[in-house]
Amino acid sequence: MRRIPTSINPNRSAVASESNQPRLSAIALIYVREMRDQLRDRRTLFTIAVLPILLYPLVGTLLLQIAQFTRQHPTSICVIGSENLEQAPPLLGEDNFADGFIAETDRIELIIHRWDEFTRDLDVNSHTERWVRDGTFDVVIVIPPGFSDSTKVTEDTVGSGEANPSIQLLYNVASDQSLVARDRVMRILNQWRGGWVRERLADSGVQLSVLDPFKVTDIDIAPERTREAALWSKLLPFVMLVWAMTGAFYPAIDLVAGEKERGTLETLLCSPALRSEIVWGKLAAVTTFSMMTAILNAGSMLVTSTFVFRQIGFGADGTSLGAPPLVPMLWLLVALVPLSALFSALALAVAAMARSSKEGQYYLMPLMMVTLPLVLLPLLPGTTLSTGTSLIPVTGMFLLVRALVEGQYAMAIWHLPIVLGVTAGCLWLAALWAKRQFEDESVLFGGGDQWEMRQWVRHLWRDRQTAATPAQAFACGAIILVALFFGKLAVTEMPSDFAAMSMLVLIPQFGLILAPTLLMATMLTTSLRKSLRIRMPMWTTLPLSVLLGVTLHPLYVSLAQWISYTYPMSEQASAAMRPFGEMIGSAPWMSVVFLMALVPAVCEELAFRGFIFGGLVRNDSKLRAVIVTALLFGISHGVLQQSIAASCMGVLLGWVALRTGSVLPGMLIHFTNNALSVSLERISTSNWEGAKIFVRTTAEGPEYQPFWIVVASAVAVTCLLYFGTLRDTTDDLESDLIELDGPVCDPAASLQGASA
Amino acid sequence: MIHVQHLTKVYNDLTRGRFVAVDRVSFTVRPGEIFGLLGPNGAGKTTVLRILSTVLQSTSGIALVAGYDVATQSAEVRRRIGFVSNNTAIYDRMTAWELVHYFGRLHGMPKDVLANRLESLFEQLRMNDFRDVPGSKMSTGMKQKVSIARAMVHDPPVLVFDEATLGLDVLVARNLLSVIRSLRDAGKCLIFSTHIMSEVERLCDRIAIMHRGRILDTGSLEDLRTRHQEKDFEELFFGLLSRHEQAEREPKDGHDPDEWTCNPVSCAPLPLDASLTNSTLSSDPGGKTS
Repeated sequence: MRRIPTSINPNRSAVASESNQPRLSAIALIYVREMRDQLRDRRTLFTIAVLPILLYPLVGTLLLQIAQFTRQHPTSICVIGSENLEQAPPLLGEDNFADGFIAETDRIELIIHRWDEFTRDLDVNSHTERWVRDGTFDVVIVIPPGFSDSTKVTEDTVGSGEANPSIQLLYNVASDQSLVARDRVMRILNQWRGGWVRERLADSGVQLSVLDPFKVTDIDIAPERTREAALWSKLLPFVMLVWAMTGAFYPAIDLVAGEKERGTLETLLCSPALRSEIVWGKLAAVTTFSMMTAILNAGSMLVTSTFVFRQIGFGADGTSLGAPPLVPMLWLLVALVPLSALFSALALAVAAMARSSKEGQYYLMPLMMVTLPLVLLPLLPGTTLSTGTSLIPVTGMFLLVRALVEGQYAMAIWHLPIVLGVTAGCLWLAALWAKRQFEDESVLFGGGDQWEMRQWVRHLWRDRQTAATPAQAFACGAIILVALFFGKLAVTEMPSDFAAMSMLVLIPQFGLILAPTLLMATMLTTSLRKSLRIRMPMWTTLPLSVLLGVTLHPLYVSLAQWISYTYPMSEQASAAMRPFGEMIGSAPWMSVVFLMALVPAVCEELAFRGFIFGGLVRNDSKLRAVIVTALLFGISHGVLQQSIAASCMGVLLGWVALRTGSVLPGMLIHFTNNALSVSLERISTSNWEGAKIFVRTTAEGPEYQPFWIVVASAVAVTCLLYFGTLRDTTDDLESDLIELDGPVCDPAASLQGASA
Repeated sequence: MIHVQHLTKVYNDLTRGRFVAVDRVSFTVRPGEIFGLLGPNGAGKTTVLRILSTVLQSTSGIALVAGYDVATQSAEVRRRIGFVSNNTAIYDRMTAWELVHYFGRLHGMPKDVLANRLESLFEQLRMNDFRDVPGSKMSTGMKQKVSIARAMVHDPPVLVFDEATLGLDVLVARNLLSVIRSLRDAGKCLIFSTHIMSEVERLCDRIAIMHRGRILDTGSLEDLRTRHQEKDFEELFFGLLSRHEQAEREPKDGHDPDEWTCNPVSCAPLPLDASLTNSTLSSDPGGKTS
């Protein structure tokens, strides 16, 4: 039996390496072709131009008609027991409500019945209910016999505890007409009751002014521009971003999946255009269409809705629906460029996975579902531009634009660098992903097989490799996150003692993180040790990992404090977590270290820096492995503040795992960090005098001394520099072997040897 | 002009698992020669040609096109190769003229030079009748002509035809073969892959018979007939295939399927000597590579 490596030269990328820099002329050429091609496509034109131009006027017309219908549709009301109002102020006229209760424009059809018309033959309740249910009347007002008498207030009845007389109002919540009619009748009845009260007070000699001892005058101090733009500043960015997403999807599918389906992509790949040139050209075209769709839709909506609102009288006071100021709207267009590019790059990368346009639509829907919350988040009440929100992709830019539209320039400029940095980083990652998709031949040409469960299971078993595949790594991460999510839901009450808390830690760690990892590593790979990256690294890395864990901890604590300041934890969450801190403080130290440091360090590292990292780092995807593993690791921590800190730590642990090729140094760093976190309070309150050099006790709890933070940071940086000098050991682990019959030498090596 | 040595491509397939699509294939094609890759469907012909055109990356082995390594100098290779595939894929919303012009521009041809080149190309391939017809309105024959024009627009020294006559009617296929012959006469280096034996017999100067990723034998038609003592080429082809399949089924007999039929002389890769370097090939397109 012969064994040949699947990749003789693992440094080779999937596609031919190209040293040439992208040429602007080639990018422009591809861009122009794609633009022309898309503009010749009726479906694209319909989506980006015809639809917005026609859609909003059509919807506006419909709204106008609905508004008109609502006004013109008569409300049918039945009053039963009109004779019982004889002693009360007049509510009813001859065939309608009394004058003053209804406006001239209100169309009300009122049918009045006396109570005695029913009691002879009919049951009032059953008939009135039936009338409302079958729509004979929108509402029925039932005034019971003796109503007027019982409303007479005498000295004797006041405070006697007798129930106030009531008028029944029957309506149907399932009918919009009935609800509208109910609101109208309630308004009339409240008006009637108010008049009645005033009349009685006047009769009793009470001054009406006692009812209104003071007035409240509300003054909106917002600048006129802000008031005018109040609605648009929320609505327009939302509309534009949603349309920017939608506008990117169809061209992205057509330019990648469509080209694959038609076979023209292969033709283009054979041309001298570099992959990067193709990606940039297509990305520019998709971005252009994304922006055009957003601008045309927002513009059309703006014009139409302003006209419609004016027609139906909505916002007639001019406080919230004035035309948005022009200059800030230009900011919105500027912000649209990077966001459209971001959506386009994501859409392009996802579309590259699809073999056909139809398949592309299936793939892009989940992308939209993931991105939509980032667009919806700024619409939540109370969400404003802050350091915390500006760090969130898309949301930060949304809020920045809102601040600009509202004229809050100082706040916008203050947060501008963060928002730009985050957006640029996301755009770079998305573009990089799209480019990698175009360089991956399994993405461009693979996936031709018809998927079958039996075949797939057989394939998993038969083609097991020494380490996980990227897909298996993603699956493992997803399984852990879903299991932890449902595990948290299963916890119905907080632990009352340390034993119960221990179970709350041990079950997720062993049952929901380690067990799926070990199961997948055993079932899907041929080597448990290699798939979990359990290998002895260079011995110097082990003590240095402990040192790194110790010296990084002050920075980690500072980071956690900054995160808590930026994203404050709610009182409820803080209260829920307080018992944990108290139990940890009172439990035996060794038990706490075992539970909170050793167990998570082993279980989480084997899962995240072992199996998942090992799968993701293949095919030379080092950055992907570090970032994705860190994100999965962070999300697994559940609480947002912890997740952010854990993600940052995850990046470092991933990098160390990459440099050392082993899961062990990460375990040591993780253990040291957690052990210090749970021991810091004990250290600060211990009798050891030397502790004061490092830690001090403040009102908020133990804190590192500034001197130690500086020294520790310097030592940590030195350790990191040392890790940086280590040779990347990824390739050693990656060389999966396949079995063939017969020895094979590396011809490239032999030829190079010959030529030398 | 084309030198392939021990080229191997391993796929990871859901149905077959890891399988070797191209297994240590070696051959050489000289300028002014039509090299035929003959084999049934799934023999690995398209994979070899896709590797040569830099669309796919080989798992191992070396492939040089016009002196440039397809793995490390792919951009240089693509500037010197024209690829015509069987799917006649052209853009539906571009006219014949626009499409060929677009690829000419991608090759960096100046506009005036490109215009002259297009005029002569459209004349040569008789495409003027449909130069302004969009791709969606073209017949299969028209599309194939556009594909050929697209591959030839930059006048590459190497042209690859991957089952280019598939789906064409007799008349169009005949015209295509005629074009390929004229290209050979112009000194181009051509690879023509097909599973139609009559085309190989009529067209190719040398032939490599491929089956299940391996080259079973290589040589001119006469060489093959003499070597296998079979005048009927169809019988020769099927005989080779059946013997190879039988040998693969019975590997325990001590019969190594690697060596079973492959003529050690005809299959042996050429040594990588000075004649294969880029400078030699560039300055001497007709230079011998063996």
